[in-house]
Amino acid sequence: MHIEIDEISKAFGTTAALHPVSLSLPSGALVALLGPSGSGKTTLLRILGGLEFPTSGRVRFDGQDATGLTVQERRAGFVFQSYALFRHMSVFDNIAYGLKARPRASRPTREEIARRVTKLLELIQLPDIGARYPSQLSGGQRQRVALARALAIEPRMLLLDEPFGALDAKVRKELRQGLRDIHDTTGLSTIFVTHDQEEAMELADLVVVMSMGRIEQIGKPQDIRARPATHFVREFISA
Amino acid sequence: MSDIPNIRFRPATEENPATRWALIGAAFLGLSVLVFAPLIAVFAEALADGVGASLKSLASPDARDAIRLTLTIAAISVPLNAAFGIAAAWLITKFDFRGKAFLITLIDLPFSVSPVVAGLCIVLMFGTNSLVGGWLVAQGYPIVFAMPGIILATMFVTFPFAARELIPVMIEQGRAEEEAALTLGASGWRTFWTVTLPNIRWALLYGVLLCNARAMGEFGAVAVVSGKIRGQTATMPTTIEMLYQEYLSVAAFSLAAVLALLALVTLLLKTALEIHHADQLAASHRA
Amino acid sequence: MGKPLIHRSPMPGLGLSMGVTLTMLSLVVLLPIGALLLKGAHYGAAGIWETVNRERVWAALFLSFRLSLFAAAFNLIFGVLLAWVLVRYRFPGRRILDAAVDLPFALPTAVAGISLTALYAPNGAFGQLAAEVGWKIAYTQWGIFIALVFVGLPFVTRTVQPVIEEIEREVEEASATLGATRLHTLRHVILPMLTPAALTGFALALARAVGEYGSVIFIAGNIPLVTEIAPLLIIIQLEEFNYDAAAAIGIAMLLISFAMLLVINLIQVWSRRRIGYV
Repeated sequence: MHIEIDEISKAFGTTAALHPVSLSLPSGALVALLGPSGSGKTTLLRILGGLEFPTSGRVRFDGQDATGLTVQERRAGFVFQSYALFRHMSVFDNIAYGLKARPRASRPTREEIARRVTKLLELIQLPDIGARYPSQLSGGQRQRVALARALAIEPRMLLLDEPFGALDAKVRKELRQGLRDIHDTTGLSTIFVTHDQEEAMELADLVVVMSMGRIEQIGKPQDIRARPATHFVREFISA
Repeated sequence: MSDIPNIRFRPATEENPATRWALIGAAFLGLSVLVFAPLIAVFAEALADGVGASLKSLASPDARDAIRLTLTIAAISVPLNAAFGIAAAWLITKFDFRGKAFLITLIDLPFSVSPVVAGLCIVLMFGTNSLVGGWLVAQGYPIVFAMPGIILATMFVTFPFAARELIPVMIEQGRAEEEAALTLGASGWRTFWTVTLPNIRWALLYGVLLCNARAMGEFGAVAVVSGKIRGQTATMPTTIEMLYQEYLSVAAFSLAAVLALLALVTLLLKTALEIHHADQLAASHRA
Repeated sequence: MGKPLIHRSPMPGLGLSMGVTLTMLSLVVLLPIGALLLKGAHYGAAGIWETVNRERVWAALFLSFRLSLFAAAFNLIFGVLLAWVLVRYRFPGRRILDAAVDLPFALPTAVAGISLTALYAPNGAFGQLAAEVGWKIAYTQWGIFIALVFVGLPFVTRTVQPVIEEIEREVEEASATLGATRLHTLRHVILPMLTPAALTGFALALARAVGEYGSVIFIAGNIPLVTEIAPLLIIIQLEEFNYDAAAAIGIAMLLISFAMLLVINLIQVWSRRRIGYV
C-alpha cells in the first residue's frame, strides 16, 4: 500500500513533537525511520497507526484520506517496543486475538482461525509454542509472536516501534534477517522505527533520517552514506 | 488552529464520553448512598435537639467515663501494636529463616477472625472458669470484664496493622543501608534509630493511624469481654449501644459524632500522608 | 533439606525482635485461639455437631454466609467500577471520592450501625422513600445486606486500584490496533488482568462480612430464624454462660474463616503460576 504523509504536525501542549513533515512511501517498501530519541519518529509511527492524532495535516493510504480513520479501521499491524503481549493468554490466543475480535459477520470459523494461527507460527519458525504463555518465552520469541499477532489481522501495512530494541546483539542480528524474510514473503509496506543507524542501513530499502521533529534526509542507504544531506546526518551515521 | 475540524479524535485507551460520565455518575451515586448519607445522618441525629443538648449529653458522667476509658485503651494498645509491628517487620525483613511465610500468615490471622470470635477466645482463655483466668482472679487480677481484657481484645483485632504497613516498605528498602551503618561502627540501636526509623517513619505513622481508628472504634470484641459496666468497662462504642437501646438518640449520636469526627480526621491525615509521602507508602500498596 | 533453620546474618537484634514478635503473637492471638480450640476438643466433635446442628444455628450460619456472599458480589462489581473511575478518570471531587472509599475502615462499626438504621428505618430518610413503594429495609434481610455492603466496600477497590495503575497502555493499544472495539478490549484484555486481584478483594470482603457484628445488629432486628446472624448467637450463648455452645459456634465460624483464607491463598498461587503476577 502506498502511504502518503502530507504536512503532518503534532504538538503536545506548547512543545512541537513534529514540525509539518511530508513523506511519500512506495507500496511494498521496507522503510526505516531513523533518529535519536526525541526526533519525532515514534510519534510519526503512532500517527500512522492511529494511536496518536496529528495537530494538522493529512494521511493518505493508496490515495484515500485516512486521517479520520479510527485505530481499529486502519488495519495496521503494529508491533510495540515492549511487544505488549497479553500475559493472561497463550501464544495461540494472542495470535488469534484479532480474528476473534472481529464482528460475527466477518469472523472466520474456529477451524479457519486455528489453521491461520498454525500457519503464522510456521512463518515465524516457532511451530510448537502455541500452548505456552508469554512469560515462558525468550525475548526473541516474544518479538516474533508479536509480529505474528500483528500479521494475523491481514494488515494493510506493518508498523514496528524499535522492534529489536529490547534484544541482545546476537539475537538482534538473527531477527533482522527474519523481518526481512517476512517482509519479502508478505510484500507488505513495512515501516520500522530505530535509533541504530547500522540496523537501518542494513535492513531498509529506504531510510528516513529525522531530528528534532523534522526530516533531515530521505534516501536509499547507499545514497545517504555516500551523500549525507546535512551536517546532522553526517554526524549521526558516522557515530 | 487545526485544519482538520470535522474529525473527532478519541484515544484508543479511552471510553467514549457518555460511558465515562455514566461511570463517574454511578460512583458518585453509590458512594453518596452508602458512605456520605450515613456520615451526614450521624451529625444530623446528634444535632436534632440543637448543639446545646448534644454538648450537654457529652458532658454527662457516663459519656465522660466512656471517652476517658477509650482514650486510655488506645493509649496503651496502639504503642504496643507499633512496637510489635516494628519488631515483627525487623525480624521478617532483616533475617532469613524457615517458616517465614507461615509467620506472616499468623500475623495476618486476626483480620480474618470475627471480632466476636476474638472476644470469645479471650473469654475462654482468661475468663473466671478457665484455668489461667481463675488463678489470676484469685490473685486479684481479673482480666475479663476488666480493662486488661478490653486491651487484649483491642490488640487482637488491630494486631496486623503496623506490621502490614512496615513489612513491604522494609522489604523494598533492603538491608544495604543498615549494613553500611554497621560497617561504619554504629551499634545495633544506633543503626535502628538513625537509619531504619527515618526511612520507615511515614509508613509507621500510617499504620498507627489506621490502628488507632480501629482501636477506638472496636465494638464486637470489646462487647464480649468488657461486660459493659457503666463507668468502669463501658467504652465509647459500647456506651453508644447502651444509650441507643435506651432510646437516648441524641446522646447516642452525639458520642457517635465524636467517633465519626475522629474517623474524618484519620482519613484527612491519611490522604495527606498519601499525597506527601507517596514514594514511601507506595511499596505497601503494591504488595 | 540442607537449609538451616536460620541463616547467619550480621544484622543485630535477632533475639530481641524474635522474642517480642513471638511473645506478643502467642499472648494476644495464638493462646486465645488455642483456648477456643481446646474448649472445642473438650466438648468433642459430637457435642459441637449437636450444638451446631440445630435449626436456629443453621439458619444463622446460612444467613450470615448467604448475605455476605450477596454483599461481597455487589462490592465486587461496584468496587471494580469504583477503582476504574478513580484511577482512569480525572474529574472534580475525585480525591474526596477516593478518601470516602476508606470511611468504612475508619468509621467504628457501632456508629455505622446506628446511622444506617436511622437512615433506613421506616421513619428514616431512605426508609420513608422505600416504604412508599412498600419496601421494608431496616429490620429485614435487606438491612443486613446494606450493612454488609458498607463494611465490605473498600476491599475490592483497594486491591484492584494498584493493578489498574500498572496496566501498560501499550497492551490496550495493541488490542485496538488488532481491530478490537473498546468494549472487547475491556472484556477480554482488561477484565482478565483484574480478575485475580478482584477475587482476592471479594474473598476479603466476604470474610469480613461473615464475622461482622457491630454494624449489623442495630439494623437487623435480630429475629431468630429470620434476621439473626451467627456472631449474635455466640453473644447470646455467652450471656447465658453457655460456654460450650458459644465455643462450638465460634469454631464453626473459625473454620469458615480458615477456609476463606485458604481460598485467598489459592487464588494468589493460581494467578502467579498462570500469569506470573498477582
